[in-house]
Amino acid sequence: MITNRFTKIFVFLLLIGGFATLSFAQQNAQALFDDANEKLGKGNYQRAISLYQNLKDNNTVSGALFLNMGISYQRIDSLGKAKYYFLKASQFEETEQQAQKALEFVESQFSRQSAVLPKLPWDIATGWMQEHIGAKNILLIGIITLNIGVLIFIAHWFMQAYPKILRIGGLSLIIAALLIITASFYTQYISERYSKAVMVTDQVAVLEEPVEEAPVVSRAYEGYSFTVDHRQSNSQQGWSYVRMSNGLYGWIPNSEILIL
Amino acid sequence: MRKIGKLFYTVGFFLVFVLLGSSFSWAQSNVSVEASLSQTTVYTGERVSLSIEISGSFNNVSRPELPQFENFRLLSNNPSTSRSYSYINGQSTVSYTYSYYLIAQKKGDSQLPAVSISIDGKTYTTDPIQVNVIDRNESATSENSSERPDIFLKLEVSDDQPVTGQQIITDVILYFRDGLEVNSYQPVPGWKAEGFWKEELENSGRPRAESTVLDGIRYRKARLLQFSLFPTKSGELEISPYKIVVAVRSARSGNDPFSSFFSGFGSNQREVELSSDPITVDVQPLSPTDGATYLGAVGDFDISRSISTNNALVGESIEIETRVRGSGNIPLISKPNYDLPDGLEIYEPQENMRLNRRNSTISGSKSFTDVIIARSPGNYTIPAKTVSYYNPARDRYISTTLESLTFSIDENPEAMAASEGPGQLPVSPITGLASWITVSPEPADILEIWWFWAGVLIPLITAGAAYWRKLYTDRMQTDTAFARSVKAADKAQQRLQKAIQVSEEGNIKQAYNLLQKAVTGFISDRLNMPEAGLSNQDYIEALKEKGIEENLVKNIRMLLDKCASISYAPNTTHAYLKSHVGLAESTLEKLQKVL
Repeated sequence: MITNRFTKIFVFLLLIGGFATLSFAQQNAQALFDDANEKLGKGNYQRAISLYQNLKDNNTVSGALFLNMGISYQRIDSLGKAKYYFLKASQFEETEQQAQKALEFVESQFSRQSAVLPKLPWDIATGWMQEHIGAKNILLIGIITLNIGVLIFIAHWFMQAYPKILRIGGLSLIIAALLIITASFYTQYISERYSKAVMVTDQVAVLEEPVEEAPVVSRAYEGYSFTVDHRQSNSQQGWSYVRMSNGLYGWIPNSEILIL
Repeated sequence: MRKIGKLFYTVGFFLVFVLLGSSFSWAQSNVSVEASLSQTTVYTGERVSLSIEISGSFNNVSRPELPQFENFRLLSNNPSTSRSYSYINGQSTVSYTYSYYLIAQKKGDSQLPAVSISIDGKTYTTDPIQVNVIDRNESATSENSSERPDIFLKLEVSDDQPVTGQQIITDVILYFRDGLEVNSYQPVPGWKAEGFWKEELENSGRPRAESTVLDGIRYRKARLLQFSLFPTKSGELEISPYKIVVAVRSARSGNDPFSSFFSGFGSNQREVELSSDPITVDVQPLSPTDGATYLGAVGDFDISRSISTNNALVGESIEIETRVRGSGNIPLISKPNYDLPDGLEIYEPQENMRLNRRNSTISGSKSFTDVIIARSPGNYTIPAKTVSYYNPARDRYISTTLESLTFSIDENPEAMAASEGPGQLPVSPITGLASWITVSPEPADILEIWWFWAGVLIPLITAGAAYWRKLYTDRMQTDTAFARSVKAADKAQQRLQKAIQVSEEGNIKQAYNLLQKAVTGFISDRLNMPEAGLSNQDYIEALKEKGIEENLVKNIRMLLDKCASISYAPNTTHAYLKSHVGLAESTLEKLQKVL
């Protein structure tokens, strides 16, 4: 009886402690954010960026944080980084619209605009699933469908009524579930293997090999977007294997880009 | 007016005087003293001339203080002197030479010690000179003398095992026998030194011939040209043959090593094309280093960095100049990369290079100028940067830390007014409350999610169990023998309970009938035998065929016999029946395990 009571108190205190820590961290983040906003308002962009960066490094983030970081970098004419943070802000519901507007403006400011190949339908579908649902949620849907399908299929063995409907219905659900689970794994694979990146320095050569003396594939300029292939890039420290928006592939030093 | 003119002339005269004085004092520091020997390979008993040449601008020169010579004897303490004056590229140079004659006495390699001389009160010292004295009698017996041509060209390198990027001096040397006179020479264009970056060095004056002995034969040699070569890669690199065309004349000359290298034209003059042998240089790779700091410089350098201003307005350009001075592979030096803070607009860097090809080496400076423009006010710091170069003389990398540069940028009022135009970012910062989330640094792999495995395994296990149940039910419905076998124990138990119940009601005979049916029914159900029409003996035989243990068969036989006898003479008690039922239960239980 005493042990039971002690356990309840311990769990209660643990929950209180957890919530208090979370709440304190968020209050601290808001205070730091307010401080950074004040610096931004006074035109002290370097200091504001430094404070925003602290928040980001502590893994406490918000759409507003990324939007303000983008604005700060835009003010100091670092448009590549501005684009990167506006893209981050567009991933948050509360700042998506403002970030899109800012992105349009920043894109128009780059001195070099690049041709963009249209995406394949399959890539669009995968991108949509990745962005709007997420691999984990797709997996959850697949698992629930699988369980329902298996139960219905089992039912046709023991229930006399509508055995054919139950069998076909159960099998259809199981097949659909397996497809959904496969889609979730593919989405996870794609999201782990590929990332979007933005060029944040003035210009750099995209090379055929990850060595500085290698032949040049193309030149990249600030604000260019890339798709980084992490599996290829992991073999070369300090270099990323990227696909440019015009479909060309090449190697670029990691210091030149920021990966979303 | 006249007074002002007078004053002007006075000031002008004073300035000219001061300038002359300062240029004189600068020139004074530009004095060089060099000792040379007319021949560095001499026979025993042969006479050689030791010359001490003082060049530059100076006033008072004392007589050289000669040291003790080990293998040589000084002919006279009184030197002969000569003086010359040259004016090259607007710079005048006076040259003063003391000459002494020495006689070689002992064979072997020896070193002529340094000679000291006082010039304008300051003491200068020459470098020691290596001399090889050959025994005249031994060299006369040499066999290789006939293989060497009368005139040939040779490339001589200062180091045949340099490291990548190291400066090696390559001399193009003409050897010719006494009796030949070389009037002129002309290099054949197109000499290549693949794998090297090459620079021709400037040499003041005309080539001078020296006397030397090769395999016992007296030759004269003259350095015609001099190159600096810088290997650009490691491995064995070949310096291709160098070719010149010489105008040569056979003449009887006196054995005077100090005669001019270029003699006058004679009647038997001819032109000869000479080619040197190729030279292989084994270039050693540089030891591995941190690529971020190494500038690709090999030599002896001084590296510095400066900033044009420490305070500027937004939009104004600031120059950061990195200067590398010294001797070595200056053109191959690359620009160091700096970690510039955000908010700076960076323009294409400018490069400037000055090379000095005199004094048998490539020296000079190379500067890189980064032009940056700050786009926002504030204090900026370009962090300190460590750069390194390789020094072959010290055989190691030398690192230099360039101090950090700090500058402040103020708001530019004109730029602020201009930025208030229509091209503004159409979004304002969010300055109120924000909704915060804490992100996990590493997103979990979906294969590590517990509910994924639970969601997959539970339906699999459930489906397996359900399928097994379905198979059992189907068999119970379709396989009679299986169904009888499965139900046999329950059926027998029911009959035994019924037997006890009937016995309690006083009907012993019927109870024993039920007991018999329980035993025979169990055996027939388990062995899939007909349910009726069999004798007790048939059951016993069937059990024996199955190899059932004898005691068990004996108990069955006893029970069946008892049931048969009591059904004919039912004079027994309920307790007696219960004991038989108990025996039947235990027997059937054992039988169930083996059937």
